[in-house]
Amino acid sequence: MMTNEPELLQGLRALAAESPQEAPPRVEERLVAEMRRRSRARRRNFWLAGASGAVAAGLAVMVWMHPAAPTGFPEDAAFSELADGFYPLPDADALSPLETAMVVRVELPMSSLRLMGVPVNGASAAQLIQADVLLGQDGLARGVRFVQ
Amino acid sequence: MLESPTHSDDDLLRLISAGNEPAFLAFYRRHQGTVYRFALHMSGQTDIAEEVTQDVFMVVMRSAKQYDAGRASITAYLCGVARNFVLRCLERERPYLTVLDDPENEHAEQLSMERNALDELTRHERIESLRKAVLALPPAYREVVVLCDLHELDYADAAGALDCAIGTIRSRLHRARALLLEKMRADERCPV
Repeated sequence: MMTNEPELLQGLRALAAESPQEAPPRVEERLVAEMRRRSRARRRNFWLAGASGAVAAGLAVMVWMHPAAPTGFPEDAAFSELADGFYPLPDADALSPLETAMVVRVELPMSSLRLMGVPVNGASAAQLIQADVLLGQDGLARGVRFVQ
Repeated sequence: MLESPTHSDDDLLRLISAGNEPAFLAFYRRHQGTVYRFALHMSGQTDIAEEVTQDVFMVVMRSAKQYDAGRASITAYLCGVARNFVLRCLERERPYLTVLDDPENEHAEQLSMERNALDELTRHERIESLRKAVLALPPAYREVVVLCDLHELDYADAAGALDCAIGTIRSRLHRARALLLEKMRADERCPV
């Protein structure tokens, strides 16, 4: 009988020993599935961040290589091919025609607006603005759309 | 696989925060039993114990860096997280559970157990009776019994898990054992 504390403690030890010791395997399976889903998402985000960085770096180089501001927005056929407000980048018309596209959001220095013929004063040239970059099937940038 | 005991919990948690699956598995296999048993003893329901075990290790997966070894042992930390989930589940299922809210009036309550005549009681039935008595304790008393008597945590670890003073653990445990003894004696006097 369990009528005093030593007997009670003995009973509690027996209760602990007789209880199931492990969670069912399905708990582990669900957790592993979630871990893998998170790993995939992490890899995808890492890749996107890398791609954004590469695009931003590429655009910065293009800006640096074309310091002279064009006189205005281009109005040729290549420009009209770019939909949804994207402005074609210099030399983009020398690339193969756009077949499939991907848009990547990046931050660019305000000075890159000069490429589009927008006057930018020296004080604000270093400020960052958000932009969407249109990448072609070859991963090369075709156009840019300024978000801000 | 990282199942070697040479990998400390800190090492595994660091690897888990970097998304290392073998480290997570090793950590899970090392500690899942403790979490599952704690949740089962607290709730008395395997589905809640499963759900809580999964939730606790999701927290580990998401925020392994948050564990502070200086504050509590890993067992105390995991039981503390599990306790919060268990209490949430019990609150959700409150209308369906027979938990005594007032320990002072417990003689007015009878555990709804099916028992045979006294001479047919087996050891298993006595343990089952004790299990039900533990489950009928108010949560504040139940959790100290589960941590200290069933999981054999020391008072400091139990205090870390429940985020209270060691003195509180000691007094609650004393009261909880007294309640259990009263209940067991009452059951033996008038088995239902």
